[in-house]
Amino acid sequence: MTDPFVSPQRANRRARQRLDRLASGAIAASGIGVVAAVLAIGVYLTLAVLPLFEDASVEVDAEPSPATSGASIVWLAEDGEYWLSANGRVFDAQGEVTTLTDEPRVTTVTEASETLPLAVGLDNGEVSVVPRDARGQPRWSQATRWRLFASAPVAALHLQSTTHGWALAGRDADGQVAALWHDGGTARRIALPDRAEHLALGREGHLVMSQGTRLTSWKLSPDGSVAPSARAETAAPITALAFLQGSRTLVVGDAEGGLRRWRQRPDDQGWQAAETPYAALGEAPVRRLLALPRQRLWLALDADGRLGLYQAMSGQRWQGVAPEASLPVTLSSDARGNRVRWLSETGRLYRLAVEAPHAAVSTATLWMPQTYEGYASDEWRWAAAASGDAEPKYSLVPLAWGTLKAAAWAMVFAVPLALGAAVHSACYMSTRQRARLKPAIELMEALPGVVIGFVAGLLVAPFVEQHLAGTLALFICVPLGSVACGWLWRRLPARWEARLPPVGVGVGLIVPLALLCWAALSVSPWLEAWWFGGDLRAWMQQTLGWDYAQRNALIVGMAMGLAVIPTLYSLAEEALSGVPRSLAEGSLALGATRAQTLWRVQLPAAAPGILAAVMIGAGRAVGETMIVLMATGNTPLMSPSLFEGLRSLAANLAIELPEAAVGGTHYRLLLLGALLLFVFTFVVNTLAEVVRWRLKRRYRRYGARA
Amino acid sequence: MRWRLGRDSLWRWLSGACVALSLLAVVALLALIAVRGLAHFWPADIERLTLENGQQVAGIPRGGEAETRRYFTANRDLDGQVWRWIAVDSIVERETPASLVYVQRRDWGPFIGRLAAVTTPAGERLRGDAAESRLHQALAGDAELATLSLHNVEGRDVTLPFAQVQSLAWPNRMHVGDKLLAWVDGVWRFLSEAPGDGRVEGGVWPAIFGTLLMVILMSLVVTPFGVLAALYLNEVARQGPVTRLVRIAVRNLAGVPSIVYGVFGLGVFVYGLGGQIDRWFYAEALPSPTFGTGGLLWASLTLALLTLPVVIVATEEGLARVPGTLREGSLALGATRFETLKRVVVPMALPSMLTGVILAVARAAGEVAPLMLVGVAKLAPEIPLDGEFPFLHLESKFMHLGYHVFDLGFASRDAEAAMPLVFATATLLVAVIVVLNLTAILLRHHLRARHRALERS
Repeated sequence: MTDPFVSPQRANRRARQRLDRLASGAIAASGIGVVAAVLAIGVYLTLAVLPLFEDASVEVDAEPSPATSGASIVWLAEDGEYWLSANGRVFDAQGEVTTLTDEPRVTTVTEASETLPLAVGLDNGEVSVVPRDARGQPRWSQATRWRLFASAPVAALHLQSTTHGWALAGRDADGQVAALWHDGGTARRIALPDRAEHLALGREGHLVMSQGTRLTSWKLSPDGSVAPSARAETAAPITALAFLQGSRTLVVGDAEGGLRRWRQRPDDQGWQAAETPYAALGEAPVRRLLALPRQRLWLALDADGRLGLYQAMSGQRWQGVAPEASLPVTLSSDARGNRVRWLSETGRLYRLAVEAPHAAVSTATLWMPQTYEGYASDEWRWAAAASGDAEPKYSLVPLAWGTLKAAAWAMVFAVPLALGAAVHSACYMSTRQRARLKPAIELMEALPGVVIGFVAGLLVAPFVEQHLAGTLALFICVPLGSVACGWLWRRLPARWEARLPPVGVGVGLIVPLALLCWAALSVSPWLEAWWFGGDLRAWMQQTLGWDYAQRNALIVGMAMGLAVIPTLYSLAEEALSGVPRSLAEGSLALGATRAQTLWRVQLPAAAPGILAAVMIGAGRAVGETMIVLMATGNTPLMSPSLFEGLRSLAANLAIELPEAAVGGTHYRLLLLGALLLFVFTFVVNTLAEVVRWRLKRRYRRYGARA
Repeated sequence: MRWRLGRDSLWRWLSGACVALSLLAVVALLALIAVRGLAHFWPADIERLTLENGQQVAGIPRGGEAETRRYFTANRDLDGQVWRWIAVDSIVERETPASLVYVQRRDWGPFIGRLAAVTTPAGERLRGDAAESRLHQALAGDAELATLSLHNVEGRDVTLPFAQVQSLAWPNRMHVGDKLLAWVDGVWRFLSEAPGDGRVEGGVWPAIFGTLLMVILMSLVVTPFGVLAALYLNEVARQGPVTRLVRIAVRNLAGVPSIVYGVFGLGVFVYGLGGQIDRWFYAEALPSPTFGTGGLLWASLTLALLTLPVVIVATEEGLARVPGTLREGSLALGATRFETLKRVVVPMALPSMLTGVILAVARAAGEVAPLMLVGVAKLAPEIPLDGEFPFLHLESKFMHLGYHVFDLGFASRDAEAAMPLVFATATLLVAVIVVLNLTAILLRHHLRARHRALERS
């Protein structure tokens, strides 16, 4: 319904105004939306990284379920479905399944694991070994009996898989130790010549025993022999031992509540204690250690009923109170290490939920050197994509180092060249020449990184490897040569000058410099033969001990230098030509030479702008991906050498992110790398922008005064 | 003073050397890529070498050093390699016999040798000139052939089904004109064909198409949003510390590493949005992802986000150049703000918006790192546009020129054999980007001249 009193013109105007408001609203909404979407990058990365630093937790069920058969239960399957009572009966939820043994009573069972057979110790000195099917279910009917001790009851048992079968070590109540090595069909019994209070059996027949403060290590062999491999003393009597995943790290708990990590020496000869112990639970002796099957986590329980969750590298992640003060009869973990079952003496079953998805990451493991398995000393390492039982190494330092090293070398190449070019075009070039140079530099900026990187990696790198001396000679020849050209130019008779094409120094030098480069490269083999015995690389290796990698920091510095020159040049040139002309003119009028004006007036005035240019250029170099990816070997080394490879954060993302499991520790760490890059470039660029803005304001003030 | 170089001159020449060196590096780089990329298609003469030990080798000389030269000897199926380094001293005789034939095969790469005979489908075996003339007819499509009997210079036989022959030539018999034609033909094949066996042979058409399609989709997204954001910042929002802050932020985003945009695209577009779309619409295909994996759409969106600052900055520059008097005039005549924008401001700033979009396209065409995370494929010979509904397959993976360069050069089975193609692809990529940038530069130049004229009047 139209209002009859409104003329068509007014209606039209209203419609126009409505449209205007609508359009303004739409523009504002999409404008704000775009800006918000772009800023969302930082928010998203932060949100994705935060879970890495969440606290670990172990939650105990409020309501323990009473176990049916009372205190006689000695073993629970990982999923809690089966249990085994001391009189040899196996139950499931419906009732008795089978009878494992009638006469000898069950005394102990090996720690649960889904892949290894189940070994049951009996009170007549025998063990019963129950194999498992592919799904991890025990096959009770296929149980086999083996004799471990003559008659003494088995007090503790440990079982590990070997290449062809399994190995088992047990202890009786007196501390006698014996082992079985099962290889296909039969098992050999190995009697240990020493007594032990505590045992731990690792991969490949590594057996560790403790007696008081003495820790001994033995190597069991398939042929039934045993050899002592090392012995060590601890300060306090040992009360608990456990191997972590992969059996190359041993955790030792002592009577004073101390927890310490022992690791296999790199040469496989014995064990070495970590210098610093883990944060202790309390003063009371450590009673139980349960290694969880993933992430090198373990639970420690002391005599006062304190319970702690630890990670091999990052240390204590959680501490709390055990469900009951008394020691559990059975403590077992499921295959993923998320659920732990605790069966108390009073027959109550507790479930402990372990929530520690990123326990291996802490500020210290990211940034401080760590002693990894297989290394003799503290080191920074990145090997996050470790598979199997290999220990993942989560230090971001090598990547940050590689990033900064590549960027630093790129700046070493780019800054002098770009600033020189900027000075030349701002101070020594005519407006016309400058107008021609600018598009050329802009084109240079548009060269894709992948093209520069591929030329650097596939052509320049092999070339430099063969002509290292020549390349290094270039860095001396080119500046000297250009000065020499200037000197020659002065000496040239005037009539020659008239014949040469009238171009500026910048363009005119291209041909002489190209000739010079060619000459330097062709002369250098003789120089190399003369001074370095014909091969500079071999000489560096022998005399200085420097390794040479084909794709190294020198290559990436040159390539990335080329990539950042245009950015640096444009910004520095802008800063220099923005210096009010009145300043330079005043200086020249007062009798200063061009060089004096340049060094004393123009450069100081433009210094903040040049600094901003360098910062923005560095920001670009830090984030450049393809050039680093292609021009370096991508080895995460921590070497300062110009001739060794590196791996940058950005290249690491391109290599590893497509393969990382979404949401895992590795994935989130890679995102942390991305966040670091984002924050770094954002901060650097913002600072540079602020500097440039203030500089512009200052110039405007000068201009107003002039 | 005449004898020594003054301090003044010293700095002049040193800084001049910096300009010269930068230009030299770029010129050398471009020349190197272009020469090696384009030379690949030139049918070079094949040399037959007789070595000291009596061995005969046929190949095309391709670089090398003073003492040893490198020959491209082809025949991977016979020799297990396609390159040979031969010491110059060991060469007794060098000739270019007219009988040597260069066959580009569909499998196993090229073959260099002599044509012994051809067999027709009827089983007739032809030799000598008859064989050659029949072969020419067959290549022109006028006759049919079953197989070719070839043997290499040492006399080892190869029987090649005719269907395996991609092209065939006797380069030593060709005149410059013929070679030029063959070169043009080679370039055309490179541009129009799909990659062949092992990606070392054949062309890059899917990569060209993938790059183009991705860039077009990207500009469809980035143009409206970039322009709207610039209009908001410059025309709608009140100028103050907040807009200055936002402007600094936008400018900085141009400096955020491209790989970070790739990470964002992977996390938000691919795993977040794509995963959600899969759960809603493609639940029957799960767990194999449809949109929940890298693809054309996500790559375009990621690059749109990446190039947004470029468009915003360029558009803003254009908007700032529109004289305020024009806006005021329009408003004074009774136009609303929207009408002023639509009829006066935007038309005047249109060329600078176009410049921004072209620069964005140039940047996107050369960007590889984010694509490695959000959907580029090593080999996807089928282009994502076909006759099957919905015609444009936004979820499919695609090939990209830049990634093709990386992949061929660094991940291919035989990097040495792939090198010429890498150079050719790189030449193409650089050419595309240079053309785009030159357009933008010319456009801007033109624009500035126009504005100057406007300001003067």
